[in-house]
Amino acid sequence: MLQFNGSAGQRFCDGVSRREMLKIGAFGATLTLADAMRAQAAAKKQDTGSQSMKSAIFIYLPGGPSHLDMYDLKPDAPVEIRGDFKPISTNVPGVQICEHFPMQAKMFDKLAVVRSLTSVDEHSDSLVTTGYPERVNATAGHPSFGSVISKLRSESSGAVPPYVSLRGMSRGTEPGYLGVSHRPFTPSGPGNSNLRLANGVNSDRLDNRRNLLESFDDTRREIDASGTMVGIDSYTERALEMVSSGVVRNALNIEKEDAKVRERYKGVEQFLTARRLIEAGVGFVTLSIGGWDTHSGNFTTLKKQLPKVDQAIANLIQDLHDRGMQDDVVTVMWGEFGRTPKVNTSAGRDHWSPAMGALVAGGGLKMGQAIGATNAKGERPKDRAYTVPQVMSTLYRAIGIDPAMTFPNGAGRPMYVLDDREPVKELL
Amino acid sequence: MRTLLTLGLFFSAFVYANAAETLPTPSEILAFPAQLTVRGSDDAPQLLIDGKLPNNRSVDLTSAVKYSVSDASIIRVNADGRVFPLANGRAEIVATFGGLTTKIPTIVEAMETPRPLNFNNQIEPILTKMSCNSGGCHGKIQGQNGFRLSLLGFDPELDYTTLLKESRGRRLFPAAPDTSLFLTKSSGQVPHGGGKKMDVGSEEYKILRRWIATGMPYGTATDPTIAKIVVYPNSRVLDRQARQQLAVHAHYSDGTIEDVTRRCQFETNETEVATVNESGLVQTLSMTGQAGVMVRFSGQVNVFRAIVPRPGVAPNFTFAANTIVDNFTSQKWRELGIVPSELCTDEQFIRRAYLDVTGSLPAPAAVTAYVADVATDKRDKLIDRLVETPEFSYYFANKWADVLRVKRRGQPSRATGTFAFHAWIRDAIATDMPYDKFARDIICSSGDEVKSPTTVWYKEVATAENFVDDLSQVFLGQRMACANCHHHPYEKWSQDDYWGMAAFFGRVGKKAIATPGTNNNNQDRKQLIYVRSNGSVTNKRTNKTAPLKPLDAEAVVVDGNDDPREQLADWMTNPANPFFARTVANRYWAHFFGRGIVDPIDDMRVTNPPSNPELLNALATNFIENKFSLKSLVKTICKSRTYQLSAAPNEFNKSDKQSYARYYPKRLAAEVVFDAVCKVTDSPSQFPGLPNDANSPQRAIMLPDESFSSYFLDVFGRPQRISACECERVNEASLAMILHMLNSQEVQDKIARAGGRAEKLAKDPRSDDEKIAELFVWSVGKKPSAEQLALAKEHIAKQPKDKKAAYENIIWALLNTKAFLFNQ
Repeated sequence: MLQFNGSAGQRFCDGVSRREMLKIGAFGATLTLADAMRAQAAAKKQDTGSQSMKSAIFIYLPGGPSHLDMYDLKPDAPVEIRGDFKPISTNVPGVQICEHFPMQAKMFDKLAVVRSLTSVDEHSDSLVTTGYPERVNATAGHPSFGSVISKLRSESSGAVPPYVSLRGMSRGTEPGYLGVSHRPFTPSGPGNSNLRLANGVNSDRLDNRRNLLESFDDTRREIDASGTMVGIDSYTERALEMVSSGVVRNALNIEKEDAKVRERYKGVEQFLTARRLIEAGVGFVTLSIGGWDTHSGNFTTLKKQLPKVDQAIANLIQDLHDRGMQDDVVTVMWGEFGRTPKVNTSAGRDHWSPAMGALVAGGGLKMGQAIGATNAKGERPKDRAYTVPQVMSTLYRAIGIDPAMTFPNGAGRPMYVLDDREPVKELL
Repeated sequence: MRTLLTLGLFFSAFVYANAAETLPTPSEILAFPAQLTVRGSDDAPQLLIDGKLPNNRSVDLTSAVKYSVSDASIIRVNADGRVFPLANGRAEIVATFGGLTTKIPTIVEAMETPRPLNFNNQIEPILTKMSCNSGGCHGKIQGQNGFRLSLLGFDPELDYTTLLKESRGRRLFPAAPDTSLFLTKSSGQVPHGGGKKMDVGSEEYKILRRWIATGMPYGTATDPTIAKIVVYPNSRVLDRQARQQLAVHAHYSDGTIEDVTRRCQFETNETEVATVNESGLVQTLSMTGQAGVMVRFSGQVNVFRAIVPRPGVAPNFTFAANTIVDNFTSQKWRELGIVPSELCTDEQFIRRAYLDVTGSLPAPAAVTAYVADVATDKRDKLIDRLVETPEFSYYFANKWADVLRVKRRGQPSRATGTFAFHAWIRDAIATDMPYDKFARDIICSSGDEVKSPTTVWYKEVATAENFVDDLSQVFLGQRMACANCHHHPYEKWSQDDYWGMAAFFGRVGKKAIATPGTNNNNQDRKQLIYVRSNGSVTNKRTNKTAPLKPLDAEAVVVDGNDDPREQLADWMTNPANPFFARTVANRYWAHFFGRGIVDPIDDMRVTNPPSNPELLNALATNFIENKFSLKSLVKTICKSRTYQLSAAPNEFNKSDKQSYARYYPKRLAAEVVFDAVCKVTDSPSQFPGLPNDANSPQRAIMLPDESFSSYFLDVFGRPQRISACECERVNEASLAMILHMLNSQEVQDKIARAGGRAEKLAKDPRSDDEKIAELFVWSVGKKPSAEQLALAKEHIAKQPKDKKAAYENIIWALLNTKAFLFNQ
């Protein structure tokens, strides 16, 4: 939604004018809250389509899910590579996926898979949420996808937090140089309990307190030219609204859903929560299903896991379509890396970063396709090789954020959101 | 943002039309340069026409005058004052405004032999101006679509090779220059991801075309190189909504001077005060203040300073100087036509000084006593007293520990070191260790971390690069990191400057000391820093050993037995050093006034000029004269009349954001708010991992390192000490922060603590009037108004059975006021 089109000023090849880059971060200036608001407001005005801002769901499969057993099966490879699972056809001609994904097979026109990714061998969500590996982030501190959304949208996100993590905090959820205030809201920590009236306070009492506050808070706002005081007034209103209206609490309470719906999400309720949060206006939700580091017993584990993933993805994406939100929400599902094509002696597969897959849905991207391919043994991309940040770049664009925008780090250096930001052309 | 920009442009055009009608009447008009020599067909210099006004000011009339030429076959002048040569010869340009004229004799020569092209002098600047080599396009490390240029053109040899030899040579085609991919792409004749960058036949196109047609010369070793750029005028007092055309001249090593105005890049550091377009036309907006316009050309930088006074005549005011600060601030206000606010009240001053100097709230008794004191020098005495308190040393130790990155990273084995380093800093602040010694002891530290706590700095500053980045940013106010990999885009610093500084790290040696009886992995070992007898740092650009060379100084040679860092410290702490004292003076000023004289504080580039250079110089000189005493620096600042101004604006300074004509309110820092909440609620805190006794830190400002987990401190923006920048501390508000204050169990529990302030007040036999007043003074530093008092009493009366609950509510409301959250 942050579109950088126009005619004046000099433009970068990514469509960002030099003048705008300047405002956003070069020359030692920081993007202030006010700048971000203006950028958002201008973007909003410019958007001729839907007035709501687009959002993103990142599904993280920690451990490194086996690319060969999910979306990139090799039925013609020797048995020690192809493993136990068979491919099935999807409703998109020519695209086959694992037999344990029957629900997705029926709706693959609403999904897309990138099969030709390379990754890094790190047990960390750093690469797939910030676009940079953990070893880079140890010093560089690049922000999470959600933190970037938080930075750009915290002014305009109403009584909901812009960035929610349903899987706690990790390196990949960190805001890095954007500052701690862009950490995710996690519905477990103090941030969450703050949504409920504190023990010892009921709504009458809160009303009384607000009355007193109104009278006591008599500082003339004009003494603060920085706008922070006015900002606090708006936050106060929104914070109290969050507590009293309970929009977020409601979104987190899946009991509010029809029993039939809950039944559909049985065992993968987080996905229902994610959908409800997005509906409530959250800009970014990250969640996970664990247990993919299948060094042994790969097939027995996956036999249990894959149907869960199938159920989760199929229901989530279908629900978004049923609500007409398919173009406004972009979803991605991936882990750290793929797994060794050759099955090891413990019927497991080990880490394999030269190949990995990602499932993408919605966001107005082109669905119903399998992009790229690995070689016959599933070892490495054969054509259309892409990187993880390139997929992220495509996702940023899908929700209207230019991955070439910069924010200053602590040393005043303008840092690109992504350095490696060629998009996955097939998705656009 | 695009919409906004477009609007802005419309707005300025509209305003200019208005302004043109109301241009003041000059008494005389003058041209710059007074006479012109135009050499070769590419040369098209910028004329500036100044009108002299009766009030001794100048107004730019470059685009307002009418130009005529005595011989139209020799030259042509466009409406913006650019002179284009047509044929060799002499002619006179006449500029007319009203009844005034000025004549510019002009010579055109060498039309048949245009200046020989030099790749670095003529071609690279075009690539930079069109942003071909910016970090977003071909300048990024991977290039763009298979074509890579060096970032901002700082490696001309590489770019030359790339253009000529890569891509099977199809980028340049001397036999038919117009079909070169280089030209067809950039002029949009064939699809180009970056769009159309220039028109066929434009000035840039012609130069690039001629370069290709003449066989793509690189230039020779004897070609002149650029020595400096000069911008005209270099500063100017401008009205709001006024324009000023700039002219930029490049001076070459052979003594020649060339007008490069259209080939420079211009950027302003205060977009609210003035903007600038790509032709070097400055447009002031509707705010009073100052702006620096950075001019860049071919690795050289310069700056134009615009001073925009408030329109109209400001009433006269007197402003007696308390300290050296006041003469320079008041001089600036007069220059800008603004008037300072009134002095603040005693109640405001004591709260302000306590919070700024000690990070603590004054107790009501202290406020009462202070207000009652009739001594005329009581404000000075208060400052004298506060800098001797332990809170002062804790608060400033915390500030220094941020930028010195006293960081445990959650590793228990590092606590010995971080605690010792923090204690050392605190002690240095408390005993007013001279700042030159303070810096030297850190930079030149050797030994193990128990005996030499300052060596802990080298835990986070582990490499030569960290050393340059942190040292330059903390002690020299220079952000050098850019120059690690390429010439600094906004400064004169080159990679050689960067690696010259890095070289001083070359002999820093590290050993891990084993602790007997422990399972020693490297992480758990103590670190010992020593000076090696040899060792060097390799310059990344030249791949050769970098000579030891401080910034802007001669290279030094160090004897094999000496510590090179001592030489660096000698250079740094020399009173003549242009960076050292100014940096800390600016840092401390920013602490008290909320904004540095140079802002951001650690970005003291030539192209980011101070808003009040005389003030900064005076402060630095005074600091050196006081033998680098930080306490005296605090006193000079806090005893000034300027520091005593009220935050309430008047008609004349309400839009002032950079000249300190009033006190700018500051949101309290995370640790200070936390401590203040504990104080007002009378619910002291314990921190995890620290002993639970009277001697252990009870306050957040006392915490020695960053690894004390606290959601409160995090949401209020406590820095993680990732960088040496104070900007890492978040002072903006956030939803999570406000929510935590309004509705967290943590704050509610403090308010409601058994034995806490609410309960004590409920049981206190004094009158409610008295108790409410005391609570107000504790939290917001002033007594309640009559209505506030009445409302509070009414609230208490409503729940006679639970007075404690009523007091809790009053405390809650006070903690959520701006008056509590801000120092003002």
